[in-house]
Amino acid sequence: MTFTDLLLQQAINGLSLGAMYALLALGFTLVYGILELINFSHFNVFMVGSFVGLYILEAFGIQGQLTVLSGLPLIGVLAVTFAGVMLFCGGLGAGIERLLLRPLRQVRGPAPMITTIGISYILFNIVILTQGADSKNFPNPLPPTEWHIGGAELKLREVLIWVVALLLMGGLTYFAGYTKLGKAMRATAQDPEAARMMGVDVDRVISVAFFLGGAMAGAGGLIFGLYYNFTSFIIGFKTGLFAFTAAVLGGIGNVPGAMIGGILIGLIEAMSSAFIANAWADVIIFSILVLVLVFMPSGLLGRVAPNKS
Amino acid sequence: MLTRRSAFKAAAGVAAASAFGTEAMAQGADKVIKVGLNLSYTGADALGAQRIANGAQMAFDSANARKLVKGHVFRIEKFDDATATAGQYDPAQGAINARKMVSDKAIMAAIGPMMSGVGKAMSPILSSGNLPIITPSATNPDITDPKFASQYRPGGKAVFFRTVTTDAFQGPNMANYFADVLKVKTIYILDDSGAFGVGIADAFEGQAKKKGITVLGRDRLDPKAADYASVLTKIKSLNAQAIYYGGVTLAGVKVAKQAYDIIPNAIKGGGDGIWGTDFLTAGGFPAVEGWYATQASPELVGDPKLAGWNKLYAERFKSQPDNYTITAHAGAEAIIEAARTLVAANKAVTREALRDALQSVKVNTIMGTVEFDANGDIKSKVVSVYQIKKDDTKKLDDPSAQYKYVGVAPEA
Repeated sequence: MTFTDLLLQQAINGLSLGAMYALLALGFTLVYGILELINFSHFNVFMVGSFVGLYILEAFGIQGQLTVLSGLPLIGVLAVTFAGVMLFCGGLGAGIERLLLRPLRQVRGPAPMITTIGISYILFNIVILTQGADSKNFPNPLPPTEWHIGGAELKLREVLIWVVALLLMGGLTYFAGYTKLGKAMRATAQDPEAARMMGVDVDRVISVAFFLGGAMAGAGGLIFGLYYNFTSFIIGFKTGLFAFTAAVLGGIGNVPGAMIGGILIGLIEAMSSAFIANAWADVIIFSILVLVLVFMPSGLLGRVAPNKS
Repeated sequence: MLTRRSAFKAAAGVAAASAFGTEAMAQGADKVIKVGLNLSYTGADALGAQRIANGAQMAFDSANARKLVKGHVFRIEKFDDATATAGQYDPAQGAINARKMVSDKAIMAAIGPMMSGVGKAMSPILSSGNLPIITPSATNPDITDPKFASQYRPGGKAVFFRTVTTDAFQGPNMANYFADVLKVKTIYILDDSGAFGVGIADAFEGQAKKKGITVLGRDRLDPKAADYASVLTKIKSLNAQAIYYGGVTLAGVKVAKQAYDIIPNAIKGGGDGIWGTDFLTAGGFPAVEGWYATQASPELVGDPKLAGWNKLYAERFKSQPDNYTITAHAGAEAIIEAARTLVAANKAVTREALRDALQSVKVNTIMGTVEFDANGDIKSKVVSVYQIKKDDTKKLDDPSAQYKYVGVAPEA
């Protein structure tokens, strides 16, 4: 492997990681943009998503990495699994909002944020108690197809991650920019009071934001499983923290910012592991975050937060 | 006549006897010797913990049934050192458990812990209470090294005994195996940042360099992170012929899965941290195929002399034992023998007396003669090497079927 091959291979690794962080960062940013609330339960909605994906894939009779599908059956299985996981996690996200966060909407101070931490721990412990604490072998029907670009390898599952992430992010951008509900969402983000006066159903908009965030987290969780071929109750913490960092780096509340932040964090992680040391990757990522925030306090693309009226 | 009430009492008695086994026998005037069993019952190493607990349980049950120690009966009390936030063993929890054990005056001895990180946290506390513990699997050498005596046994006397040898032999002997048997010339070394992982990787690295293997690099993995692809890609770009991973399964299964994709042809090995059901099930075939792992004990499960015992175990627990089940059983036998010698000499069974008796014990256990040196280490220094080779005819999660014994690692 030459230096350029290594660089290319790490760019491929970094983009795949980044796509996952970006999907998860979108959930943080959507909710923050509207409620100015950091939703820590998002960490573990992502983790639950990977377990739901595991069950759906096993229901299709896929065991470990030994069952390989191709063509239409593969596309069918993946489409159904993605749809199932996203619906489940979207519902979970919206349900958390409706049942546990809406009653606290008017409470000032850190109570809603602490509640989300509590919900996160509840999900985490439910998974330990019902699924056990050992790592799980994640069923993966993808064929081991790969292409060679110089000395670097591009695997089918990496392409799949990029395509799914692009589709979902494109869909979300279209939704926020061009649909009526999306416009209502942006209006609520700008000024919830004024939006309400203009006839926007703010409660519904908030539910939709939580649903979309949860669905993105679920897709992220499924992608995690397909990419690493494993899942465990603990995966939410590190990935969630990096995704949250990505959202802040890009400018929290800002949808394109979350995507760019995610990709950047993924690339930085891969490059620092390769060229410095894996042990230093966290130090480097958070140092860059601190530096960026010192000079651009509202992140790379600027922060979007609701007006306090 | 059997009235309804007495029938209920009889039924309850039977239920209690079958539920508590050992305790039901603790009737009459027998004095109870409590033994703490400190293992990682939950989390990533739960299955291994259960096998070790079963091994100790069998030894104590048999001693109680045969009344080996006159007028005394053994009772086990379990302590879990794993926590949910760590996802695996947690040294801080081990320290809490050690304090609980020391403050319970009925506990005379303990078995555990599985993990060296926990051992380091527990040993000083146990030393202050003069409470002897025997580990069936913790292999970090520092805990018993006289160099660190002020840190790990401030009480003076050895309290941390082992029925396995240490990473001072496990790591270097494996380095010899890589150099002499596998003819490895270049290697990259990884660890999982835990006490065990760093220690065994350091010991391996030192001996590998002495044997003339070129160490291309050394990196540390965060066991909670998911992505090791970047560091493995770097290893690929260096054309390393082999990798050695010091650590336990939490990071180990991810290393195995991603290494299978990125460096499928490299020789891959580790210590006893990646020997077990968890590595097979979570890692899965084909990713774990070909991995080498060691055990800091002689190969015991496959020993024909133990076939009868293995069968007893399998009938009772509906699963297979591993080597550390047997070292745990042997540790329990050492405690029983120490107590027996005290009682036979008409001495009271106290912590201090039991510790002193353990120090000089020489007992013929199911794993052979067990004797400890002045630091608490077992005198036998055998390290066994295994390689994972898929055997479709047996259960894929059964380590004794899927890890093939390939020989003893040459002593350093």
